Parts: sequence; structure tokens; C-alpha cells
Amino acid sequence: MTSTTVEVRGVQKRFGRTNALAGPSFDAAPGITGLLGPNGAGKTTLLRLLATVLAPDAGRLRLLGRDPSDTGDRLEIRRRLGYMPQEPGFHRNFTAFEFVDYVAILKEMTDRRARHDEVRRVLELVDLGDVMHRRIKTLSGGMRRRVALAQSLLAGPELLVLDEPTAGLDPELRLRFRELLSELAQRRTVVLSTHQTEDVAALCQKVVVMDKGVTVFDGTPRELIELARGRVWLADDRAGDARLSWRTGEGRHRHIGVAPAGAELVEPTLEDSYLLLLGKLPAGERAA
Amino acid sequence: MSWHAETALLEAYVESTLERAAAFSIEAHLIGCASCREQIAVIADRERLARVWSDVQERVDTPRRGFVETTLTYLGAPDHVARLLAATPSLTLSWLAGVAVSLAFAVAAAHAGGDGLVLFLALAPLLPLAGVAAAFGPGVDPTYEIGLASSMRSFELLLIRATAVLLSTTAVSALAATALPQLGWRTAAWLVPALGLTLVSLALATYVPPLRAFGAVALCWIAAVLLLAAAADDGFAAFRVPAQVGFVLGAFVGAFVVARRREMFETERGA
Repeated sequence: MTSTTVEVRGVQKRFGRTNALAGPSFDAAPGITGLLGPNGAGKTTLLRLLATVLAPDAGRLRLLGRDPSDTGDRLEIRRRLGYMPQEPGFHRNFTAFEFVDYVAILKEMTDRRARHDEVRRVLELVDLGDVMHRRIKTLSGGMRRRVALAQSLLAGPELLVLDEPTAGLDPELRLRFRELLSELAQRRTVVLSTHQTEDVAALCQKVVVMDKGVTVFDGTPRELIELARGRVWLADDRAGDARLSWRTGEGRHRHIGVAPAGAELVEPTLEDSYLLLLGKLPAGERAA
Repeated sequence: MSWHAETALLEAYVESTLERAAAFSIEAHLIGCASCREQIAVIADRERLARVWSDVQERVDTPRRGFVETTLTYLGAPDHVARLLAATPSLTLSWLAGVAVSLAFAVAAAHAGGDGLVLFLALAPLLPLAGVAAAFGPGVDPTYEIGLASSMRSFELLLIRATAVLLSTTAVSALAATALPQLGWRTAAWLVPALGLTLVSLALATYVPPLRAFGAVALCWIAAVLLLAAAADDGFAAFRVPAQVGFVLGAFVGAFVVARRREMFETERGA
């Protein structure tokens, strides 16, 4: 039996007139849970709630068995939490070592020797051991994302909240990140957001699809793929009334929805199902 | 390698009981002998090895501190506090240089006569206010969000930084005040307003986003100096005893509100 680390029930959050979260609900247990959704779906706001940076206006949230609205509980959650924001800020004149050391201090590691050992450990874990003494402003974008990931790994958190950890990474580095995240998730709960359906298919035990501030799917990647079974076709020509149809690299047209004449039914992908869920097709053709 | 070290010799080496010449000899041998290295790896105390390696890394691989951290450590600040302060935007050399230049202009204006001294007195409380505003919060601290999600209380970080900024800015302002043309009570008349305005701003920052709070208080201060001067036909009206008493009261009320509402600093409420 897996224990629930994250419990989200109907949480709501408004910023002025914008309703960022309109009551999404899901659970996350040890392993990787991926939040998938278009821009503005509320993924980042939800992750900021999970990181205890924001407080919800309404709804129920429990992290690591505790209530983040309670001062004592929130402190205990933060002691067991690692967070990588979507656009992590850096003190650019710091070196990678100094920056992670600074965050380690914010995590109450005041013993200098033990803290420095931990800083070296996490920087080596993300393959930055050789450049740890370079100033952050001289590092590439990919290296900076690894610095951001390194700080989130300080003190071995039980819950890792990562906002778009693979955004802007080249394919090789993205694979390295996937490898690292899958290793980390063997012992902890990782909740990450992404735009990349390939990341979800490759990494996640569970996927939560969000749209317009609510959960529109909550299940395994396999279950998500099954939603599009029987609805994805390959044909030689583009269907005139197709709402979603594109020419593949092999010169044929991939259709999602009603089969065009002479079309061949094919295996759906996670991306096909994702597009179905987001309502890109007429209501009568949408997945239940 | 034609010979191998005896186990007893390796054990003595591990326990650091060999005389120096023999230890150096074993050390030289170990560099070239994989078999003896394997043997010593079995008998070595791994915890002790880890400690020694940590010592070596600490000495060789720890970066030198920057100017601000070195100065703070020299003044007695613990190393972790020095690092927290080194990351404060308004404790950088460029910020303090900006403060010094602003004050230099104000001192020059005071020497030019007219309302120059009032300009200095009006400016001096704004500098610590701006410094505290730039020390912590969304929009000014690049690691604000990571800091919020960390276990150190944001209020504690705010207090550490605000105190350091107040002390440093006050020191620079006090130094500048000694260069004013008349060294009377007026040269120190900015001190209480500085404290009062800063504490009222922090209190207001528990209700509205910090930058908005500091901006509003700064504008109110400038308006108050101008309006009181016009109403009393006295440029120094905002610095005389009744106003000073008001700032003392403001400081107490501000401190009380900040203490009561300190939890408001622990989550974000907008930039």
C-alpha cells in the first residue's frame, strides 16, 4: 500500500479578478506525479501551493500528512521539502557553491563543515562538481537549471516540487534530468509540471492533466493513453472537416476523432489523449 | 610490484602509529600498488577516511569569502549570518556607495544654504527605508521564493537584514551629518524619523505588498515635510519635538503590529 504524501481537495486561488485555481483535486504518493496542462492551466500556482509559498483561498491541502495552514505544520513541511521554481532567481555574483550554500543556510544548516559537505554532494549529484566555483552569471542556461535542481535536493527532502524542470534543456540534458529524477523518485515523492508529454510518458507513475484551473484527468499515463484508443487514425489525405489533423514526417495525415474515408486505426499516444482532453475536438467526440 | 606491505604494517599506517619515515614509505608504495590499496581499503576506518577527506575538501575546495562577508566575519558575525547578509541587495558596496553619494549631495546643498539642511534631514530617513525595502521581498530578492519554501523563518531573515541595513545606512548618514555646516541638534533630527518610518513601513507591509508599503510611506513622508513646513512657516517643523514624539509613537505602534502580524511574512501575498 502506498502512502499519500500530497492530498489536494478542491483548492481555490484567485489573483485579483483571475481565478487561477478553481478546485483541482488529486493525491500523490512516492514516485513521480506529472502535472500536464497548457499555459494558464494553473500548474505553477498549484505547485507554489504545494511548496507552501502561497496559501489557498479555499479547499483542503495536506502535505506529508500535515496541514500547511498551521504554522508549526508548515515549518515541519518546509524542513522535508525541496522546491525548484519555474524561474529560479540567483544572486548572479555568487558562485554555484556559494548560492547552494546560501540556500542551505536558509534550510537551517548552520554547521559550516556539514553544510559544505552537503553542498558538494548535491552539486556533484547534478554533475556540477567541476564548475561549482564558477560564478552563476558565467554558467549556461542548462547549468543554471541544474544549480536550481541541486538546491532543491539539499538535506534529502521527502517531497520534491519541481516546476518545469526540463524546460529549455537540450535533448541530451533532458535525458540526464530524467535519469536523475527517476533515481530520486525511488525514495521520495516528486511532483513536477511540464508541457512535454514525452516527459510524462518517460517518467511519471501518475499524471494529472489540468485545464482552466481544474483537474480534467487523474490517473496513470497508460490510462490516459487508453482514452484515445479507437480515435486516432492515419490517412493519405487530410479530412476536410478535421478539427485536428496534421501531416506526419512520413507524409501521411494523423487524425484524432472521427475516421476519415480509408483511414487506418493506429495506436494512440499520450499526446493524442492530452489533445482530446483539452477539448480540441467537437464535444460529441470528446473522451468521456 | 615485487613486494607487498604486511597487514600489520598497513594497520599501523591506518592507525597513524607508524613513524614518519615508514609512513612516507608505505604512502609511496600505495600509490603504485593496487593490491595493497585494496587491502588497506578493507581495514581502513571508513568514517575516519570520510572525515579526513571532508577536511581536505574544506581546506582546498572552499571558496574565499567576498569583501562583505569577510568584513562581517571580521566584525564577529557567524559565517552563516555573513552569507545571509552578503546576499542582501542593499548591503552591497554599490548600494552603500549610492547612499554615500546621495548624502554627499545633500551635505553640499546644506553648505549652499537656504533649505539645504532640510533637504538633508528629509533625505536621511528615506535611505534606511529604501535599504530595508530592497533587502527582502518579492521583486527585490531573487531568491525570495526559494527562501519562503525553506525552513528558516522569513521574518527572522527580514529582521537580520533590516537590522544590518539600518545599522550600515545609519552609520553612513551619521558620518555625513558630521560634515554639515552647523553641528547642533538638527544634525541628528533624522534618526527618530528614520526608525519610525521604517517600522511603520514594515507594519504596513503585513497588509499590502512590501514595495507598495515602502513607496506609500516614503511619499507620505515627503508630503508631511512639505506640508508641515508650509503650515508652520518653518522648514524644520517635521523635525521638532512634537513631530519627534509622533515618530517615537509610530515606531512603537509599528513594532507592535509587526510582532503581532509576523506570520504574514511567511507566505507570499503579491509583489
